[in-house]
Amino acid sequence: MSTVQIRDARKSYGAVEVLHGVSLDIEDGEFVALVGPSGCGKSTLLRMIAGLEDITGGDILIGDRVVNHIAPKDRDIAMVFQNYALYPHKNVRDNMGFALRQRRIRKAEIEQRVNNTAQILGLENLLDRKPRQLSGGQRQRVAMGRAIVRDPNVFLFDEPLSNLDAKLRVQMRSEIKELHQRLKTTTIYVTHDQIEAMTLADRVVVMNGGVVEQEGSPLDLYDNPASLFVAAFIGSPPMNFLEGDLVGGTNLVLADSTALPLPIGDPKGRSRVTVGIRPEHFTIADSGWPATVSVVEPTGSETQITARLAGHIVRILIRGRTATKPGETIHLAIAPEYVHLFDAAPVPQLAELEDVA
Amino acid sequence: MSTPISSTAHRTRTSTSHRLRVMGGIAVSILFLFPIYWMVLTSFKQQVDIFTTPPKFLFIPTLETYIEYMQRADITRRLVNTIIVATGSGLLSIVVGAMAGYALARIRIRGAATFGLLILLSRGVPPIALAVPMFLVARKLGLTDKHITLILAYSTFLIPYVMWLMRSFFLSLPRELEESAMIDGCSRYGALFKIIIPISLPGLLSTLIFSMILAWEELLFALVLTNRHASTIPVAIAGIAGDTVNGANWGALTAVGTITVVPVVIFALLVQKWLITGLAEGATKG
Repeated sequence: MSTVQIRDARKSYGAVEVLHGVSLDIEDGEFVALVGPSGCGKSTLLRMIAGLEDITGGDILIGDRVVNHIAPKDRDIAMVFQNYALYPHKNVRDNMGFALRQRRIRKAEIEQRVNNTAQILGLENLLDRKPRQLSGGQRQRVAMGRAIVRDPNVFLFDEPLSNLDAKLRVQMRSEIKELHQRLKTTTIYVTHDQIEAMTLADRVVVMNGGVVEQEGSPLDLYDNPASLFVAAFIGSPPMNFLEGDLVGGTNLVLADSTALPLPIGDPKGRSRVTVGIRPEHFTIADSGWPATVSVVEPTGSETQITARLAGHIVRILIRGRTATKPGETIHLAIAPEYVHLFDAAPVPQLAELEDVA
Repeated sequence: MSTPISSTAHRTRTSTSHRLRVMGGIAVSILFLFPIYWMVLTSFKQQVDIFTTPPKFLFIPTLETYIEYMQRADITRRLVNTIIVATGSGLLSIVVGAMAGYALARIRIRGAATFGLLILLSRGVPPIALAVPMFLVARKLGLTDKHITLILAYSTFLIPYVMWLMRSFFLSLPRELEESAMIDGCSRYGALFKIIIPISLPGLLSTLIFSMILAWEELLFALVLTNRHASTIPVAIAGIAGDTVNGANWGALTAVGTITVVPVVIFALLVQKWLITGLAEGATKG
C-alpha cells in the first residue's frame, strides 16, 4: 500500500495539451474516483500513473518515489482494463499467476496465492478455463483477481464495469467496494458514471477539459458543487437550472420577465445568475413558484414529476406518492439552504452521460 | 422462427442456396484443378500417349520418366536447393517481417506510415527490372550461385509481404494486452514474445507457409542469380520446357512439375488446420 501524489501533471500530444496541470494527493488506502465526460483527461491521467503514457510536465510519486521515468513493471501497480485484456492463450490460473511468475516467485507460493484469490472471488471452479470460455462477469472477476493476487501498492481501474450489463454492473460495484474495505489497497478508479464514482469512492475528483473541476467526498460534491459543471454532472435525476437577473436582491427575473421570488439573496451580489435546485429539494406547497404538471412517474418509493415553469422544464422528486395529475398547476417551495447560485452561463449538456447512468 | 411451416420453408431455402454454393465451388475447383490433373496424368504417360487426338484419359501408366529424372543428380540437388532456399527465406522473412510489422502496428514513430508505404511501393517495381542490378551486386560481393544469395533476394519481396500481413494481424489485437503484460512485469520485448507472439502463432504460421510457397516456385531470380550449384527446381522445369535442341520433353516436364507440386500439397495438407484458423483470425478480432 502506498500514497500517490500528482504534482502539476501535464500531458501534451504534439502541440496540443490535454492535461493542464493536475495536482492530487491520494492517501494510503484511499479509494479515489476520477470522473468526468469523455475526453476530460481522466483516463490519460490514470495511464500516466500506470506508466503507459509518458509525462510531459510535473511529477507523479508513488510512495516517496518519483516514478516519471520508471517502467510500468517497476511501479508495483496493478491495473484492470475496460476490456479486461486477459491473455487469451492462458487459462485463468496462468492469467492470474503471470505477474507472479514474472517476478520469479516460488511455484508453491504462486499456487497458494492464486488459490486464495480465486476463493475470494469465487473463481475456484474456473481456474482451468480459457478466457473465451467465460461470461463477461467472470472475465471481469478474473481481471480483478489478476490485480489482487499481486498485492500491489496501488490498484488502477479504467472503466472496469462499462462492458457489463446494468444488473451485473450494480452487483460488481458492491463487490469492488467490499473488496476495497477488506484489502484497503490504495485505489484509483476512472469512470464516466457519476453514480459509480459516488457509491464507490471515499473521494471523488471531477475532471473537465483537462483540469480538476472539484474534489471532495461524494456528499460534499453533491451538497456544495463549486461550479455549474459539477452541479450538472453530479446527481441523478440532474439538478434544475434557471438563468435570470436578480432584481431587488431576491427576485429572479427570467428571460420572459416571469419573476420568481427566491428565499435568499446572492451573498456575492451578482446581478445575473444561474439558480440550481435539485429535484428532491422542491416541496409542493400552497404558495410558491407556479408550474404546470406534464408527466407524473411513480416508482413506489418516490415519484418523479416533470413540470413546466415559465417555459422551462423542471423535474421534481418527492418521497412517497402524490395525487397530482398532469395538467394541474402546483406551487413549488424551496428552503433557503437548498438554493445554489452560480455565475450565469449556459448549462453544460451532459445528456450522453445520463444515458449511461 | 417458431412455427414448423416457416421453419421448413427456411430450411428449404437454405438448402437450395447451399446446393448452389456447393455447385459453384465444384465448378471453380474444376477450373483450377484440371490443369494440375492434366499435368499429373501426362507425367504417367508414355511418349506415344501424350500427343494423341483426342487426348487419352485411359492408358497404361508408366513410371519411366520419374525413375529417369529422380536418378539425375541435377534434379535431386535442385530439389534440395529449393527446400533450403524456401525454408531459409521463409524463416528470415517471418522473423524480420513480423517484427517490422509489429513496430508499424504499435510504435508511434514520426513517418512510420510513410516508411511502411514506401516498403510496400517497392513491391510495385517489376522483378525483371531488379534482376540484373541484383546480379551485379551479387557478383561484386562474390555471392553468385550460393543459397544465401537466393535467400536474401527472396527476402526482399517476402519481408514487405510478411510485414503488411502481420501488421494488420497485430492491429486486430487489443493494445491493452501488451499494456497489461508490461504492468505485470514484462518489458516491451517480453510482452511481444510472451503474449503477442504466442497469440499470433496461427497468423505467423500461415504467413510463413505462404512465403515459403512463393519462394518455392520463384523462377526469375533463381534463373539470374544461380548457375549450377544453387539453382532450384523451377529453373530445371524452365530448362526442360525451353530445350531448343530436342524440343520440349513433355513427359519430363510434367513429371518434374509433379515432383515440385507434391511437397507443397503434402505440406499444405499437414498444416491445413493452422492455415484456416490463421486466415480467419486475421480477419476478425483476436
